[in-house]
Amino acid sequence: MLLLEQLPVNYAPVAFQFFVAVGFVVVTMLATHLIGPKRKTSDKLTPFESGVEVQGNARHPMSVKYFLVAILFVLFDVEVIFMYPWAVNFRELGILGMLEMFTFMIFLLLGFIYIIKKGALNWE
Amino acid sequence: MSSIIIIAITAIVVLYLGLYKVKSALLPVSVLGLLGAAASLVCVWDKNISYFNDMLVFNNYAIAFSILLIATTILIFLLSGNYFEKISSNVAEYYTILLFALSGGVVMVSFQNMSMLFIGIEILSVSMYIMAGIKKTDSASNEAALKYFLMGSFATGILLFGIALIYGATGSFNLVQIAGKASEQPLLFYAGVIFMLIAMTFKVGVAPFHFWTPDVYQGAPTLVSSFMSTVVKTAGFAAFLRLFGSAFTSVPAIWTVTLVVMVVLTLLIGNITAAFQQNVKRMLAYSSISHAGYMLIAILLLGQASPNAILIYSVAYSIASVASFGVMVAVKEQKGSDDLSAFNGLGRTNPVLAFVMTVALCSLGGIPLTAGFFGKFYIFGVAIAANYTWLIAIAVLMAAVGIYYYFKVIIAMYLRESENSESIQLSLAYKFVLIFCIMITILLGIAPALITNIL
Amino acid sequence: MTEQLAWLIPVLPLIGFLINGLGYKKNPKGLVGLVGCATVLGSFILSILVFFDIKANGAKTIDLYEWISVGTLKIPFSFLIDQLTSIMLLIITGVGFLIHVYSTGYMHDDEGYGKYFAYLNLFVFFMLLLVLGSNYVIMFIGWEGVGLCSYLLIGFWFKKTEYANAAKKAFVMNRIGDLGFLIGIFMLFSTFGSISYADIFPQAQTASTAVLTTITLLLFVGAMGKSAQLPLYTWLPDAMAGPTPVSALIHAATMVTAGIYMIARSNILYVLSPISMAVVAGIGLATAIFAAVIALTQNDIKKVLAYSTVSQLGYMFLGLGVGAFTGAFFHVMTHAFFKALLFLGAGSVIHAMGGEQDMRQMGGLKKHLPITWFTMLMGTLAIAGIPPFSGFFSKDEILAHAFEVSPTIWAIGVGGALLTAFYMFRMFFLTFNGKFRGTEEQHHHLHESPASMTIPLIVLAVLSVFGGFVGVPEALHGSHLLNEYLSPVFGQSTQILNAAHHGHLSHETEYALMGASVLGVLISIFYAYTVYVRKEVVPAAETAPRSGLEKASYNKFYIDEIYNAVFTRPLDSLSQLFYRILDKSIIDGVVNGFGQLTQWSADKFRRIQTGYIGNYLFMMVVGIILILVFNFLF
Repeated sequence: MLLLEQLPVNYAPVAFQFFVAVGFVVVTMLATHLIGPKRKTSDKLTPFESGVEVQGNARHPMSVKYFLVAILFVLFDVEVIFMYPWAVNFRELGILGMLEMFTFMIFLLLGFIYIIKKGALNWE
Repeated sequence: MSSIIIIAITAIVVLYLGLYKVKSALLPVSVLGLLGAAASLVCVWDKNISYFNDMLVFNNYAIAFSILLIATTILIFLLSGNYFEKISSNVAEYYTILLFALSGGVVMVSFQNMSMLFIGIEILSVSMYIMAGIKKTDSASNEAALKYFLMGSFATGILLFGIALIYGATGSFNLVQIAGKASEQPLLFYAGVIFMLIAMTFKVGVAPFHFWTPDVYQGAPTLVSSFMSTVVKTAGFAAFLRLFGSAFTSVPAIWTVTLVVMVVLTLLIGNITAAFQQNVKRMLAYSSISHAGYMLIAILLLGQASPNAILIYSVAYSIASVASFGVMVAVKEQKGSDDLSAFNGLGRTNPVLAFVMTVALCSLGGIPLTAGFFGKFYIFGVAIAANYTWLIAIAVLMAAVGIYYYFKVIIAMYLRESENSESIQLSLAYKFVLIFCIMITILLGIAPALITNIL
Repeated sequence: MTEQLAWLIPVLPLIGFLINGLGYKKNPKGLVGLVGCATVLGSFILSILVFFDIKANGAKTIDLYEWISVGTLKIPFSFLIDQLTSIMLLIITGVGFLIHVYSTGYMHDDEGYGKYFAYLNLFVFFMLLLVLGSNYVIMFIGWEGVGLCSYLLIGFWFKKTEYANAAKKAFVMNRIGDLGFLIGIFMLFSTFGSISYADIFPQAQTASTAVLTTITLLLFVGAMGKSAQLPLYTWLPDAMAGPTPVSALIHAATMVTAGIYMIARSNILYVLSPISMAVVAGIGLATAIFAAVIALTQNDIKKVLAYSTVSQLGYMFLGLGVGAFTGAFFHVMTHAFFKALLFLGAGSVIHAMGGEQDMRQMGGLKKHLPITWFTMLMGTLAIAGIPPFSGFFSKDEILAHAFEVSPTIWAIGVGGALLTAFYMFRMFFLTFNGKFRGTEEQHHHLHESPASMTIPLIVLAVLSVFGGFVGVPEALHGSHLLNEYLSPVFGQSTQILNAAHHGHLSHETEYALMGASVLGVLISIFYAYTVYVRKEVVPAAETAPRSGLEKASYNKFYIDEIYNAVFTRPLDSLSQLFYRILDKSIIDGVVNGFGQLTQWSADKFRRIQTGYIGNYLFMMVVGIILILVFNFLF
């Protein structure tokens, strides 16, 4: 109660946009559903694969190794992002900044060595 | 700060020790590192040092709770002697991940900036997701890990949302600055507070966000459960209190009623469901929900005595939990079960274990002359100071229910016959931890003044 | 002297507990018994020294150390030893010592001998803590501790499920009472800012009557649980499942009087709240009558004594409620003597009978158990209130005060006393007179108990006979030593009460009252004698039809038929009614209902925990939405 009374007027456009967005989605979905003709055949219910005939099941098992490598890749990939702000401010951060970044890199490296030693990257 | 560094480096050293198959050194190195971390904390007592533009502030509150976390971890490590070699081949990883979790816990109790709160919680939580599932071939353990992860990430999202809203309202992550700007954008701020409240109550397992606790505690390896119910819970409450006690004190009106309902609900659900359990581990899991309810009272009725009350409760509860989980592990190892019936006749076959369990359960139940009594006493003291007599009446009634189910175990141990009269052999370190816990529990029950006035 | 040694009083039994408790599997029986008795004896000797010190130098507070301090709350671990405490110390350690000695004989062949003594010593420790504490928190610790020991000892022979259930029932009932007590303590703290007696009592008059009434009623709820008053009394008869010496020590002489002690200790608070006084008196009186009526038809020797204990406790509360603090406390003391004696005597009988507790199987034991017979006679005379046995003086004092308040209360109280005399002599005659009704095997087995059991009986018998002389009323030209001694404790309350109303009774009235009650008691005993000795009536077995013996008496004494129809039958059926309906269905039903409610709701709560993460997340989201809706829309 307290909070609704204090709602600032300048939030009105946001609310308006919210209602429009929701309204658009609801209206279009309802409209297509109601207006469109429906003819259900077995061809129509199969997944659309650019006209190519469907082959096998999409949900076939993948080697867990793949996920491991993928996640490790993401991990190290993301860490590189931290180097951008450091590179941009290299001069301002000075020698302390460089030491800190090296420490960070050493930790990453230790992790990397651990991964290799554990054999996480060996496919076979 | 140096303690966090020491813990993190210890973790990596332990990890590499495991890599080079120096298994016998894992435990000593971990414990030494933790002792070093604790010592470095003792050195900065009363100094109130802040780091990185007030990201972390090591005041006495942070130090006391950090030391408690570290001490509990040491006790659990000592218990785990060869427990983990039996359930997993990656023993070093076990120590490492728990150490990482601990460093997250230390960040959580010393943060002054909400980004550090988030990082601390994440370091702790992600480690715990892994630990819950560390029994790779056990489906219960896997299920626990997945449940914990899904629900935990759900709560993390809410936490981040809350932080973002509060940042939007005040333009700051710093607790002190937030407290000063609470009234600038009330709507955003209130919403942020509510979202953070939800996230924090999830992390400490308060009803109605407690659903993960019983399943996770039961599925996870027992010693990991004991870590969760002690270190994780203590860190969660300390962070909760630090956050609400410094940043949101000016707006108690928006969260008091919500928390009151949560406290009552938690006490009811935790205690009454625990009374029904026939499995001791699951009973302890539910009882840990109920303990969260008691501790929440101190946050609900923020007062001068709250930090002390939470500290005393945490100390009493952590030590008693470690002891009771320790006994449970030993019993399970021999009998292959942690059902109530596995405890039958323990008083005859293993008087020491039974005695330890009795004192620990009495402490959890809040029987006088144990530390747990003072935990409850101080919590109720906070409620008295705030004139919440009716809440105490409910809490005391629920404490009575608590005593009922704790006594079920004691009855089983002393008043029932066991089929099997072999006594359980324990290692020296194991005995040391159990006896140590009991001595502290009784010591604090007789002389609580030792810790009541530190904060 | 007191300052240096008083702390040893509770510590000695604690040491005994540690020695016996830690080595209960290894210690030889001789050592166990020696340690158990010697530690309590040590405490007893110290208590005597303390008693004389207090007598000469007045009350003392002994600070041991600062125990808890938070903000304004400071709780020192300290003992307050005043007149009230010193007498309680003597009762606990004195009677406790005798019962320890008795137990060495009674429990001699039990496999749990070491454990038994460890529990018993622990009990003595907590009981001493309860009476020694200088504030309500220490009292509460002792209070909980004795509850725990009582629970352990009731369930001592835990292999029988019903015994374990009795233990549980005692525990639950006591927790209900403790809840009231605990909230009372919290309220005391929030009203007076302290929980020490020394801080609270002087400023009692500053608090409003409403607050005091609430506090005192809450404390009384605690007392009702511990001292087995309506409606929380049913655990006590069930508690007879424990070994008989335990019944004597815990469920007759000491623990159950903790409630009396607590109210006597807080007398000033009660005096300032007339409503609480009336409630205490009312509940006490109701319990006294109610339990006495039930005791009339019990056939288990220990059950008779148990209901009689409940009834006597009711008298004590009646005494407290009418302002006869000294009288109530006097009754605590004499009751400790004679009820311990009766229980131990009953134990001796049960021992001789090889565990049989049904009085219908006894009879004619007088010649086999002469010492037990004689000492039991003394105890029975004492509880019946025959002058000059101890029970007469204490009961008379309570009743005299009751008369000052209202003659009706007095009349009902005397009615209860008549019932007491009847059922006690019924028990006595059924046990010792007539022919032996047990099996042949039991008959051969009959023997007087060993000296370790009879000596405590004799000592207690002496105390039961002469114990009353410390409180001879003025009207009988005695000096009331106890009243004088306790006057520092109750002085202020007595002043307030005297200022409020009623003057003293004249000596003539007192003689008349005494005469009336003694005469009534004698008639009641005579009636018991005619029924159970002259006519040798044996209570019918539950299933068997009335025996030929009773048929004969039917025709012989036509007058008894009228008695039966007018008095005994209705009373009998009333007694059965109370026992069956009130005691077993309603009161037990409520208690069991609580348990079932918990179980039922636990089952429902448990079902929320489905194990499906989707459900959990759904519930969480519902919770979040509720919180948001609640916070932002209302």
